[in-house]
Amino acid sequence: MSVNGAVWGRVRSRLRAFPERLAACGAEAAAYGRCVQASTAPGGSLSKDLCAREFEALRSCFAAARRLHLKKKKNLGGSC
Amino acid sequence: MLRPAGLWRLCRRPWAARVSAENPGRREITSGVSPRGSTSLRALNIFDRDLKRKQKNWAARQPEPTKFDYLKEEVSRLGGGADDAEASFPLALDLGCGRGYIAQYLNKETIGKLFQVDIAENALKNSLETEIPTVSILADEEFLPFRENTFDLVVSSLSLHWVNDLPRALEQIHYILKPDGVFIGAMFGGDTLYELRCSLQLAETEREGGFSPHISPFTAVNDLGHLLGRAGFNTLTVDTDEIQVNYPGMFELMEDLQGMGESNCSWNRKALLHRDTMLAAAAVYREMYRNEDGSVPATYQIYYMIGWKYHESQARPAERGSATVSFGELGKINNLMPQGKKSQ
Repeated sequence: MSVNGAVWGRVRSRLRAFPERLAACGAEAAAYGRCVQASTAPGGSLSKDLCAREFEALRSCFAAARRLHLKKKKNLGGSC
Repeated sequence: MLRPAGLWRLCRRPWAARVSAENPGRREITSGVSPRGSTSLRALNIFDRDLKRKQKNWAARQPEPTKFDYLKEEVSRLGGGADDAEASFPLALDLGCGRGYIAQYLNKETIGKLFQVDIAENALKNSLETEIPTVSILADEEFLPFRENTFDLVVSSLSLHWVNDLPRALEQIHYILKPDGVFIGAMFGGDTLYELRCSLQLAETEREGGFSPHISPFTAVNDLGHLLGRAGFNTLTVDTDEIQVNYPGMFELMEDLQGMGESNCSWNRKALLHRDTMLAAAAVYREMYRNEDGSVPATYQIYYMIGWKYHESQARPAERGSATVSFGELGKINNLMPQGKKSQ
């Protein structure tokens, strides 16, 4: 660990926001999960970027949720 | 240590290729790991014990140390129940004690003095209050500083799964036990965190084209019985139990695992987990395993084991050819049993 853990603390606080942001993207996450799960069925095979489209949708929703989350944080006037 | 054979077959070559491309310096270390699928039990060096000590020290120093204790408490409660109330153990040893959970469930009348051993000094410094007189010792589970035939009882709760050379650790436990002494242990088993393992594996394969192990390898239950027998224990009992804990999501589970001091410390771990992969794994985890109420389960499979050190007083199988009745006379068993027993 570093001297005062500043970098770690910063990264960790960003990571702590992940569950909330993921909750805001339930539909996209479910679509991606279904796509990956379908590849595990007999006869399917999982390769790189098989579900790239669903993941892109999830990632853009996640990024949008970040802007929303930051705005909410600013309105509350504190850091979490 | 054996890896569960099932899913590792999914993507063999990409993993080996990734190790050589990204971690050229690590190859000498990973080549010491026993090959997949083999039953070579003289495992050499899988876990970085130094890092495990640092992780446990960090976990013990966290502001709310009791927040992550639920699993250890539950296992200690169940394991403490195996303690025979009639026996008495003047000298007992708690191996990998953490903050001393087992001491809370041991009876002061049965235990004379309890030695608590752990590799993390912070855990020993913050150990829980107990009425039993204790001595705290900083030692590694594989290098126990005790003489032969010292202890009447050795307990170990949820720490043996980080030991590099499990056969040797069990042999050492057998060595320090007195004849007619007993070893009661609990460790994590093969199905532990299989949901997390599968989700990370699938997500990493889809996002990055290959995967590397993020969950440490566990011993199979059959091998555990063999290991205990090889170490010299008698009258073995190995029991499995599954505890399912529900979490809001994958990130909370990973944070709890780190808070418990159970983070990965294998030498062949990947140093980095991409944010995209984490996001993908959380989505897969939720979709594949979620409960009705939206939470996700995590399975902890616990092996409980009991082994005794040989003593003449212990029951032994009878000599061959010493039978006085045959199985064919089972129908007349009421006549065969002595009168005294029949009246019970």
